[in-house]
Amino acid sequence: MAREFQRGHKARISDLTAGTDLYVGVQIASPGLTFDISCFGLDADERLSDDRYFVFFNQPKSPEESLQLLGAQAGDTESFRVTLDRLPAHVHRLSFTAAIDGAGQMSQIGPGYIRIVAGGEEVARYPFTGSEFTTERAVMLGDFYLKDVWRFAAIGQGFDGGLEALLKNFGGEVAEEQQAAQQPMGAAPAFAPPAQAAVPPAFGVPPQASQTPQIPHAPQPAPSFGTPAASPPAPPQTPPSAYPPPQRNPQIHTAHTIAAPVFPPGGAVPPPPPGDGLPPQPPQFGQAPGQTMPLAPPAPFGAQPSAPYGQPQGVPAAGAGLQAALQPYRETPTGQRWTPQNQQLMRVELGIGGSAVLARQGSMVMYQGRVDFSHKSAGYVGRKLGDATGQEMQLMRCSGRGQVFLAEDAAQLHPIELQGDGICVSAENVLAFDETLQYEIRRIEGHGIPGGALFTIQLTGTGTVVVKTRGTPVVLPVTPTTFADANAVVAWSSASQVILSSQVRLRRNAYPGHSGETVNLQFRGAPGNFIVVQPYEV
Amino acid sequence: MNQQLAGYAPTPVVARMENHGRTMLKVAMATGQDLFARTGSIVSYEGFIQYEPNPPAARQAAAQWVSGEGSPVMKCSGDGLLYLADYGADVVVIHLDDDAISVNGTNVLAFDAHLQWGVERVKGLAKLAGQGLWNVEISGTGWVALTSRGTPVVVDCGKGEDETYVDPDALVAWSPKLKVKGKRSFKASSLIGRGSGEAYQMAFSGQGIVVVQPSEDSTDRLRIRG
Repeated sequence: MAREFQRGHKARISDLTAGTDLYVGVQIASPGLTFDISCFGLDADERLSDDRYFVFFNQPKSPEESLQLLGAQAGDTESFRVTLDRLPAHVHRLSFTAAIDGAGQMSQIGPGYIRIVAGGEEVARYPFTGSEFTTERAVMLGDFYLKDVWRFAAIGQGFDGGLEALLKNFGGEVAEEQQAAQQPMGAAPAFAPPAQAAVPPAFGVPPQASQTPQIPHAPQPAPSFGTPAASPPAPPQTPPSAYPPPQRNPQIHTAHTIAAPVFPPGGAVPPPPPGDGLPPQPPQFGQAPGQTMPLAPPAPFGAQPSAPYGQPQGVPAAGAGLQAALQPYRETPTGQRWTPQNQQLMRVELGIGGSAVLARQGSMVMYQGRVDFSHKSAGYVGRKLGDATGQEMQLMRCSGRGQVFLAEDAAQLHPIELQGDGICVSAENVLAFDETLQYEIRRIEGHGIPGGALFTIQLTGTGTVVVKTRGTPVVLPVTPTTFADANAVVAWSSASQVILSSQVRLRRNAYPGHSGETVNLQFRGAPGNFIVVQPYEV
Repeated sequence: MNQQLAGYAPTPVVARMENHGRTMLKVAMATGQDLFARTGSIVSYEGFIQYEPNPPAARQAAAQWVSGEGSPVMKCSGDGLLYLADYGADVVVIHLDDDAISVNGTNVLAFDAHLQWGVERVKGLAKLAGQGLWNVEISGTGWVALTSRGTPVVVDCGKGEDETYVDPDALVAWSPKLKVKGKRSFKASSLIGRGSGEAYQMAFSGQGIVVVQPSEDSTDRLRIRG
């Protein structure tokens, strides 16, 4: 029986399972983000005294193989094998952490978990979601720790500064960047899950030479985080083929404003804040003088350090200054034609492909260079839609040479790259698309749809279409019973067939507060088709 | 229930201004370190904090910004923690280090009172009648908090010889060193920006940065409430 943990819960491993050969799976995912999931083997002082017990993608196992990184399998983004009774005596705590590689925040992640599997059976699970976090870029998910016996604690403690801050928190050395830089870039192969990745999440009595799949990473000197560019990008997790891998911005690590570990390592008193006009830490209102942060077990909630307010203290606000504060929002490097700047802003590079871009009027927030904007004169789409629905769907044609930044109402943007296939997008949800795509209007008529009909744009060919959604969408496979609200559906693969389904209920008019959800779209199609639905009914 | 909510408890104070989540600003107030904040932006405070809604100094400086109404900023002083927010807009905290930034009036949330600041009308640009584009130029060494509808993007203006054109509704802040001019739409037939009214862009040239939000909603929600 899996026991559900909540943040802060602790339990003895022996209460969960009799085994000591455990599988630890972590699932954490978010569209467009990649994660570095690692395990720190810490000593009694919670320091990473031995680098060899920092298990991550470049060091997939500890010397005596008591800690091993297994890669993605069985629904887990990353998995580990932990043999507790083979751990050396100086390892007192194993901390499982996840850090966002590149730009992003933990608040963007979807539901995830860390789970313990013993003997093929899940015995513990700590679920978490992005709503528990804010701007953190790394999070300590759960710990195994030795206190008389091995125990497990669900931590859920975030760190603003990413993996680097985590590593510093554990007293590791951040860099050897020179060594890493000498590593030829070509030596990092693309992430390819091992062929026999279907290792069951169970370990019986493991033979000495286990069938642990080795992940083909370039052997690199151990902790080399200064150069994230050398790490191979994981494949994008999202189904509709087209979120480009996130841009890696090596500077992003160096610049975050405040890295705030709640419990500074080793009790070392951090230097006072930099000279920003604040007097150096007088004991403030409501705060015991000489208060030191709790050192040992990181009581993650409930036991908040009792310094509700007062003088800024603790970690200095690193990287002061205008440039540093704005660094996380920097324009991402140029390269592709369509580059997401963040979840809500898209940059399109005109002049590379030569062809123009059609965008919704009013969606341009900024441009650089010599760009011509003209009314889409052959505005068949716009006119037809405008005529029929009374709702303006005006397109403009952007051509020339330069960069155009597109956004609308802070809606989330998703570039979908079509390679000969087709997609139908609800007309309100199209932000922009390449002019090379063929488009045609499809009209779904039906009783009960506001405006009398639902207009969709079918796009086919080769190029990119940018779809906007309010909130994080869900992508569903088309099954014999797939239904969607006509107001919430955003897009679907054009091979699937749309049927209007009305639900007639006997008690339909029986009560005044009737939900109104009587008209749905049903989708039919061969396996492999999908639909995209947003959490917002236009 | 308590366990679910406990994750949102205040984190220990590490700086004068910090984000609490994406959309809330936490300011550690102390005697002698006063703060100017947008009127109506306080969502909560803890400790002994006083605020003066119509400080004479601010009123004078911002006299052009709003005529005949109360000052758009209030002066806060005291000891404690102050939480500010602007209707769920993202908050960006900046520590100016002998630097300057020009911020669109609607996008200012708070700034240290000891900073030099002044309100200017953006030259060459008249927006809809009765509502110009005002910007607050802040300089010195201290903390500033801006708001942005959606995650902003920061662009270097001076990369090429080309100018950078920004929809004024999406503009958040820029370096005061930049040269600014208003630009009407280029062709009679083209219609860019908001459908209503005229189509303008602001053209920036020179060395510096421009901060843009991914939304063309420039409504000043704090003022609408009065």
